[in-house]
Amino acid sequence: MSAEVLSVPREPDAFDRFGERLADRINPIVVKEVRQGLRTRVFWIFFSLMLVACLFISLFAFAASDGIADRAGQATFIAYFVCLGFVQFFVIPYAAYRSMSREAEDETWVLLTLTGIGPRRILAGKLGSSVLQGTLYASAATPFLLFSYFLNGIDLPTIIVGVVVSMGYQVFLVSVSVSLATLAESRLVRALLHFVLLGILLQGLGFGIAGAALIGEFAQKVTSSSAFWLTSLCVLFGMVTTGLLLFEAAAARLSLATEDYARGARMVYVVQFLGAAALFLWGWQLSGEAEVLTAGSVTLSVYATLVGLFVGSDRDGMAKLHWVTGGRYSLLKPGGLRGYLLVVTLLLFVAAVFFGLALTEGTLPMGAMLVLVAAPGFALLMLSLPLVIARWIPHPPWQTPAMIRLVFLGLVVLMTGVPPLIGEIVSDADDLFLNALNPIVGLINIERQSHDALPLVLLVWGVAAGLAASAFFSLRARDTEWLA
Amino acid sequence: MSALLEVKGLSRFYGSLKAVDDITFSLPEGTILGFIGPNGAGKSTTMRIIATLDVPTSGEVLLEGKSLVARPDQARPLLGYMPDRYGTYDDMTVFEFLDFFARAYRLRGNERKARVDSVMDFAGLLPLKDKLTSELSKGMKQRVALGRTLLHDPRLLILDEPADGLDPRARIELRELLRALASQGKAVLISSHILTELSEICDTCAIIEQGHLLATGTVQEVLSRTSNAAAFSEVELTLFAPGGAGLEEIGKKAERLLLEQPLVTNVTVLNHAVRFRLELAAGQTPSSGWVEEASVRVLKVLVNAELPVTSFRTREHDLEDAFMSVTKGRVQ
Ligand SMILES: Nc1ncnc2c1ncn2[C@@H]1O[C@H](COP(=O)(O)OP(=O)(O)OP(=O)(O)O)[C@@H](O)[C@H]1O
Ligand SMILES: [Mg+2]
Repeated sequence: MSAEVLSVPREPDAFDRFGERLADRINPIVVKEVRQGLRTRVFWIFFSLMLVACLFISLFAFAASDGIADRAGQATFIAYFVCLGFVQFFVIPYAAYRSMSREAEDETWVLLTLTGIGPRRILAGKLGSSVLQGTLYASAATPFLLFSYFLNGIDLPTIIVGVVVSMGYQVFLVSVSVSLATLAESRLVRALLHFVLLGILLQGLGFGIAGAALIGEFAQKVTSSSAFWLTSLCVLFGMVTTGLLLFEAAAARLSLATEDYARGARMVYVVQFLGAAALFLWGWQLSGEAEVLTAGSVTLSVYATLVGLFVGSDRDGMAKLHWVTGGRYSLLKPGGLRGYLLVVTLLLFVAAVFFGLALTEGTLPMGAMLVLVAAPGFALLMLSLPLVIARWIPHPPWQTPAMIRLVFLGLVVLMTGVPPLIGEIVSDADDLFLNALNPIVGLINIERQSHDALPLVLLVWGVAAGLAASAFFSLRARDTEWLA
Repeated sequence: MSALLEVKGLSRFYGSLKAVDDITFSLPEGTILGFIGPNGAGKSTTMRIIATLDVPTSGEVLLEGKSLVARPDQARPLLGYMPDRYGTYDDMTVFEFLDFFARAYRLRGNERKARVDSVMDFAGLLPLKDKLTSELSKGMKQRVALGRTLLHDPRLLILDEPADGLDPRARIELRELLRALASQGKAVLISSHILTELSEICDTCAIIEQGHLLATGTVQEVLSRTSNAAAFSEVELTLFAPGGAGLEEIGKKAERLLLEQPLVTNVTVLNHAVRFRLELAAGQTPSSGWVEEASVRVLKVLVNAELPVTSFRTREHDLEDAFMSVTKGRVQ
């Protein structure tokens, strides 16, 4: 105590004490990032740049407002938004990526892990400090945004919706960046990821600004329609759950093989999959068109194949600790077998529900019905085949999750590209039998052939079932073989 | 008394590469164990597993008798790990750096302040409190890193090549710090290929190469075992010639005489000094004391020939030789 009094001449007042108590409670990473952030030049440069830019826009708008009063507010709103968006959708996510990947580069990451704060809290800290920064920028820009209200052409709710949605969008982009940073294990991957991230963020910035323009343009006209709310809900749901999924996947990747790492990511997957199915059902209710069910079946099948592949190609086995405590019966526990079963179970369940509803509705044309049935079959096939092939090659590098995903990519290229090429030479590019197992052309053929396509659907399901069984047995065999 | 840390049949394979292969040793509290091996021997891999940062292919590690592999979360509060690269953050002062990690270790309020202060005091960091960590010298950074591992008062310290790149003074200071920690009852596992340093710091040592443990025991045990097992020994003697007169002649005579003796090889003469090697023929097994017997015989011959020998000594076996005679310098 005495040492502290010596070094700090001023007695801490109530405000200081409150601040300290608060800092004790919040995530230590946030405290650290704020301390570091305030010391870096980058923060102050961008902060003043944004303010200066907003000031110039205001002056310009003020000068110009005498002549053309009509829609000046909307234009200035978008101009302000470009300034704020550049910081929120590009600078901050990029800084979050750098900060996270430097933890790995400088090997401070392991030090954090050992303190026991855990990957999830570390990631949340990075996310939280970025949000804090974003709030700071946004609150500095808010007076300017309000100024555009006085120029007419835009109403207050639209401005507020714009700011709130942009904050949500920023959280999403930061979550993408931070998760991406956890992938950077080697120097080569890191360099590659850097470019990928820049691409993603530039695109994200474009989407963000386009979104703001759209909101400015249409907000007043459509807020009353339920289609608007359904669309907004879909976008929000997709953003939130995808952000969470990436977040949980990153946390899982940063855990040890012996830990119970799979739970979070798989829970989010379940929620996202079932939620998406529910949104399709709502869309079906709203529109009253059974085709929505077919669209849902195809979309969810593609989704299950792409995202489920990551869940399903987890590393084999689980730690003895989880095994003996009954973990082998839970689909949320680590291990490729349980991940695969989870994905397949969800897919089959949702497919069955959609099929049942389409049957009772009875208005769906035969072609659309067969596509509804065939799409999950293709998904099962594309999920199982890479697993079967990778397991079948008795060479350790082929057994890694990354390789299974590579095999999948190769298969997609082969199965969608090669049959049409051969078809082009032999008969037609969209030859029925050559493309029977082609997930794209095959599905289109089924839709076109309508009643005659039943054997094709049966073939797809037959092959898929065989492969699924084979994948299941090989996964089960390796589940115990690699017991860590 | 059972040891604080017990490593049993530990292995870690990367595909077909056996980075660590069936290693067994234990470490009681209050002792310092030196982990010695050439580059790529598997030191860091072993230490990372003990620090719960990696999972073994097979084998078990017990800390306080409990499996650290099964429950890394329970082991982490008990151990402090310092990797071979001591990571620091940019734009942070020494105090902020330590304060951040103290927060991460869930130390609150005054307890945290007291802890950070006492660690800074122990590691001699108080004068550097407000310096940015990125501006520190290597030796100072390393102290900050050591301070960081001590924040949560761990019972086991795992230090990966802490002496690497330090100047002699910083090394001596490090040695004093580690001795002080051991006397507080902490167990210290320290790795290095700077062997002479370890012989002064460590109580026990373990020599590792290509993932195998080649020798373990107290420093004395390993020394005597390896010196008895050695099939050669280096000898150095000095000759006296007043004003350097006739030195060359005397040297030549000594060289001729030495080369006539059994077991003597590699004779070199350099001014006053004559160096040679006592070496058993290939296939002969070394018996204990063979070096001393051979030395006595050679010295007697030189004295009988009235050569002015002023000193005669077989070079002390130190860890360096132990290391060289046990390892083969194989790199995997
Ligand atoms: N992640 C990894 N993947 C593949 N091989 C690895 C990995 N980590 C270490 N190795 C290999 O394991 C062996 C042991 O490495 P380790 O780092 O434990 O050696 P070390 O004794 O610490 O060497 P040094 O003195 O150079 O630090 C080396 O051959 C190394 O190439
Ligand atoms: Mg090493």
